[in-house]
Amino acid sequence: MKLIHLSTLIALLLAAGAQAATDRIFVTNERSNDVSVINGETLEVEATINVGNRPRGIGLSPDGKELYIAASEDNAIKVVDPVSLQVLREFQAGSDPEAFAVHPNGMIYISNEDDAKASVFDPATGQKIIQIEVGLEPEGVAISADGRQVIITSESTNMLHVIAVPEHTITANILVGARPRAAVFNRAGTLAYATSEISGEVKKIDMQTHTILAQTKIADEKAKPKDVLLSKDEKRLYVAGGRANAVLVLDADSLEPIKRIPVGKRVWGLAMSKDGKRVFSTNGVSGTVSVIDTEKNDVLKTITVGQFPWGVVIDD
Amino acid sequence: MRALMANTPMAVCTVLALGLCLLAQQAGASKGRTFHFAFIADANSPALSGAEQGIIEANLQGQFLGIQYVLEKFSSAAWDSARPDKYMAILADLPAEKLVALSRSNPIRAIFNLTAKDDQLRTICTPNLLHTIASMNMYRDAKQQWLTKQPVVEITVSGWHQDFVKFAARDLNKRYRKTFSQPMDELAWSGWAAVKMTTDLIARHVDAPPSALLRLLKTELAFDGQKGITLDFRPNGQLRQPLLIADSNGRLLGEAPVRGVVDANDLDSLGYAAEQADCP
Repeated sequence: MKLIHLSTLIALLLAAGAQAATDRIFVTNERSNDVSVINGETLEVEATINVGNRPRGIGLSPDGKELYIAASEDNAIKVVDPVSLQVLREFQAGSDPEAFAVHPNGMIYISNEDDAKASVFDPATGQKIIQIEVGLEPEGVAISADGRQVIITSESTNMLHVIAVPEHTITANILVGARPRAAVFNRAGTLAYATSEISGEVKKIDMQTHTILAQTKIADEKAKPKDVLLSKDEKRLYVAGGRANAVLVLDADSLEPIKRIPVGKRVWGLAMSKDGKRVFSTNGVSGTVSVIDTEKNDVLKTITVGQFPWGVVIDD
Repeated sequence: MRALMANTPMAVCTVLALGLCLLAQQAGASKGRTFHFAFIADANSPALSGAEQGIIEANLQGQFLGIQYVLEKFSSAAWDSARPDKYMAILADLPAEKLVALSRSNPIRAIFNLTAKDDQLRTICTPNLLHTIASMNMYRDAKQQWLTKQPVVEITVSGWHQDFVKFAARDLNKRYRKTFSQPMDELAWSGWAAVKMTTDLIARHVDAPPSALLRLLKTELAFDGQKGITLDFRPNGQLRQPLLIADSNGRLLGEAPVRGVVDANDLDSLGYAAEQADCP
């Protein structure tokens, strides 16, 4: 009896959560100091909001009720209501906050580039829970679906640091190519993929043995791979190609190239819709966002946003 | 937390019986390795503080792997009575003729030329001499490229600039200034680069002897010099690298290869790409 009540309650909560999704796409524009709000239906910019200086990292709370934006020059994370677009509150997040990820438990894991540290913040209180010493110029943050593993990439130490949660101890340090930028886990947390900007590589890592299973160098010499995403069926990887001005689709098993999708100039950020059908890329120098249909791997639409779009998140 | 991890094996050894101590060390496999570098100069060298910055950063990486790096300083007179076998590589701020003699008397390990820009040093047969400082030809080409675009300015060309911020150069400038309370210059960058590229290779090939390390440096290097592009060596031992253009007041103007004049990624547009050392 009790069990039924509980599951009903959870279902209701989940339904309420689903209804709350705004179907908006939020894009931080690093240079114009604003955030473009794109309507997910019309794929047009419906609002542009100012939330702070040099907005870069962006993420949603697990319930979708709060939008977090790292305002790098304000050393702060701004908490925004994705419905009303009002800034609800803000908290100090160390020197020059840039990339972060939101844990399934709601905590924010952020890399502090200047201090060779990763920090964990509780966005409800703005309190720093713990700080972990990592390598030089920590950048990318990835969290496994079960929340047990966190990867921090340190760009000038050329490593992925694997942090166990909730212990917050480093369980492995994996050497990868020069200037690792971003990483992503598979759903089971048994594999991770990481990009290295200067060496132009993508590596596939066994997260049980912490060994490299496969690696590839992007053929385009100009490519400086940044964000990386795994398709919903986990068969393809989407890599933001930086100066290659394209999103690169790779076979997630062999890392063989499948397709090069030309987008705008200087591709940095990527986000995928929950249904896996669309990928959004931020094209920094072009000041655009490209919408990619993942079935055809073609660009559906190019949307003009602010100057130097950096991060992107989808509230679906 | 980092310091604790690095110190753990030693603490175990001091408090436990020898047998347990050995077990603990075996469990660590390649942990607890120390690698030495020699730095040779006959005067105060700005390249030395750069190399020291490199050691600090290398030890930060090394602490995660149980590896430690040590830099030992020598005058060229003191070096004559040193034991070269101890060192993975030798870093030198010396004039051309002393560099050539040093490389010929230590043929199996990498000798880094941190300061001498002489073009002829890049053409004689010294297969183990690696130049992290640019050659005069490279400076000349960078200047020419810039003047093609902007003919009416007086300019200076350098391997580094204290106000360079792109490609995480800002981070390196900041770290160096924090350590030494002075701006990083091209000689300091040259020392930093030599240490950083060598130690990153050692971390990946901990069992490589100095001769294998030299080969790795010459054939497998993909170095992030915080100049935004992968750096490696030409067959003649010259590091391919972008150079920085400043005006006569020292104000940073831009980078070479100069975009619009040549392909910005074409590092071989600076100096002689096909230049080969004149080996028999």
